[in-house]
Amino acid sequence: MGECNVIKKDRNSVINPLVTCQPMGAMYAVAGIRRGLPLVHGSQGCSTFVRYSFSRHFREPSEIAVTSLHEDAAVFGGRRNLISGLGNLAVRFKPDLIGAISTCSSEIIGDDMVGFIKIAKEEMTQKMGEKEAESIKIIPISTPSFVDSHFRGYDNAIKALVDNLAEEPTESNNKVNIIPGMVNPGDTREIKHILALMGIEGIILTDISDTFDSPLRPSATEFRPFYPKGGTTVGEISDSSNSLGSISLCNYSGSAAKSLEKKYDVPSSLGPIPIGVQNTDQFLRNLKKYTDLEIPEALLDERGLLMDSMADLVSRYLFGRTVAIYGDPAISAGIARFVCELGMVPSVVCTGVESKEFEEEMKKVSKESDGPVDMLVGSDLRALETRLQEEPVDLMIGHSDGRLFAKNLEIPLIRVGYPVYDRAGYHRVPIVGYNGGINLIDRITNTVFENFYDAEHWKLQQ
Amino acid sequence: MVRKVAIYGKGGIGKSTTQQNTAAAMAHFHDKNVMIHGCDPKADSTRLILGGKMQTTMMDTLREDGEEACTPENVMETGFEGIKCVESGGPEPGVGCAGRGVITAITLMEMYGEYEKDLDFVFFDVLGDVVCGGFAMPVRDGKAEEIYIVASGEMMALYAANNICIGMVKYAEQSGVRLGGIICNSRNVDGEKELLEEFCGKIGTKMIHFVPRDNIVQKAEFNKKSVIEFDESCNQSEEYKALADKIINNENFVIPKPMTMDELEELVVKYGLVD
Repeated sequence: MGECNVIKKDRNSVINPLVTCQPMGAMYAVAGIRRGLPLVHGSQGCSTFVRYSFSRHFREPSEIAVTSLHEDAAVFGGRRNLISGLGNLAVRFKPDLIGAISTCSSEIIGDDMVGFIKIAKEEMTQKMGEKEAESIKIIPISTPSFVDSHFRGYDNAIKALVDNLAEEPTESNNKVNIIPGMVNPGDTREIKHILALMGIEGIILTDISDTFDSPLRPSATEFRPFYPKGGTTVGEISDSSNSLGSISLCNYSGSAAKSLEKKYDVPSSLGPIPIGVQNTDQFLRNLKKYTDLEIPEALLDERGLLMDSMADLVSRYLFGRTVAIYGDPAISAGIARFVCELGMVPSVVCTGVESKEFEEEMKKVSKESDGPVDMLVGSDLRALETRLQEEPVDLMIGHSDGRLFAKNLEIPLIRVGYPVYDRAGYHRVPIVGYNGGINLIDRITNTVFENFYDAEHWKLQQ
Repeated sequence: MVRKVAIYGKGGIGKSTTQQNTAAAMAHFHDKNVMIHGCDPKADSTRLILGGKMQTTMMDTLREDGEEACTPENVMETGFEGIKCVESGGPEPGVGCAGRGVITAITLMEMYGEYEKDLDFVFFDVLGDVVCGGFAMPVRDGKAEEIYIVASGEMMALYAANNICIGMVKYAEQSGVRLGGIICNSRNVDGEKELLEEFCGKIGTKMIHFVPRDNIVQKAEFNKKSVIEFDESCNQSEEYKALADKIINNENFVIPKPMTMDELEELVVKYGLVD
């Protein structure tokens, strides 16, 4: 049983941040909607850098509109920008949904986005006719950038979508709502694969698996406007109040699930993210609880394959190695538990947010650990770097932003999560579910082979 | 159904005094459950109800103890006749953004559902003018539905009232907020009542009540009390009782038709207030 030390950042400035601001999370959420467009009510940079960040990670184009606030809008308000922006998008792109996302500037000047959207809607009705205008849902999403981080932005967006679209329940649809959190397309696909094996239909709130990783098959009939295939439909979100239950994979993204529970008695469970054996078992138990369905043989086999990999690799190559994990609080805590399952010690776990759920989860994990766990909360990569200079570890697990000091400190880095821009295809490979566990254990073990054994080592020969 | 009322008017016109006395009269004479949310960075909208005590504001709490400490238990106080009081507060003069402070304060109170809890009336007491989006927050969608403007028979008071109407028209279309009337807080100038009545007619509303000038208001203020608490039987208490009654039974809600500057000048000249 390992002890658990909570370490807070001891300086005011942030160096090499682990989080960005709220609107990015909201754009991520809206991107998972079929024919959905994010419209950022802010300055151009608010969308440019997110678009850049999405494109280099997913290697897909991402359509994000912006109302382009300049100095005059800060003085006179952004009313005109938002109304004409919404009008232009409606006419040119004919989307099913526009998520109007606020930023620090529009929040500070106090733009009444709900009111502006009403006016824009009236103008649309006059121009396009009632039926066409009615078919475009416009959802105001409040994401003041100066509060919290992009994880909160994601949560706010999913809640805004559900609160605005979910209808009064009629009869059960026998589906389960899944809020994936800010995970990769591969992860969402793996969740859908698990649901399919269970025989459950899911409503994924929201489904970025195809929109952020879509086949290049130009259509002969449908040129413009271009939308990637896939995504959650507006109808599915409206139907989410009829579901058997809601599961938020990450505990930071559960507000919508709680809101559905409060308003329409749809039961909910939040986290832990199904990474590793225990957490995936827990996820399946939750699914079973809501649907009364049995866990099928095929899934037990997948679990068996993961157990087999663990039996093959853990004692020989992984046991006792120390690991530093950083990034997304939910994913980091999930990987920390998995690492314990593999007999390794999560010596340092570092995240950019301060969250009670994360701390509680990590306290539980530390009880499963063979060595002490340092928990860096509300922290940054510089703090992690300093900690690792003083007390090095065998391996680092996290996203690409830690690659430079990993190289300097000569600690091998296993890439997971978002963003990974210096390797290809990582967004497509799941780390959740039993299959994700197999991928992770392979990735970790191969890194150990590469860095801790020479080609003639006897352990590799046998 | 909670009725949410916002009080606007030129700086120094007596908004906070009128609002606190009306709220006190509503609670005392008409048995209403009332809450006051002060939206002025000066934070002087509740002191007569709380016996002269300067309340700890939401922004002070936010600044010193963080967002999690900003709960109703920590920032709300109960005063005369059970009136619930909250002050938004703001940054120190000359720094930061007071408008954003108002937005933050109202959003937090809404999050805790404070405006819906067993109340008949919520008063938003807003500073002088609708200067930016932050100070228009109380009249946005789903917030205050009625506005009362405090004015007197002076050019600058009418000018401010007219300006508030211009700001309001913008919000009236989108949020359904309506003008309930003009409260005249008398300055004892000649022809005041007639001038205000004509002004109200021109912008399409009515003067809901003419509150005469009476030194007892100042006297009560020195004693850190509302007039009603200070002397419930005096004439001025009757006036506030009447005003409270008129607001409770008001059915005349309009979108105002603000006047042009020329029309306004003409009106003032007609009553001989400009030499």
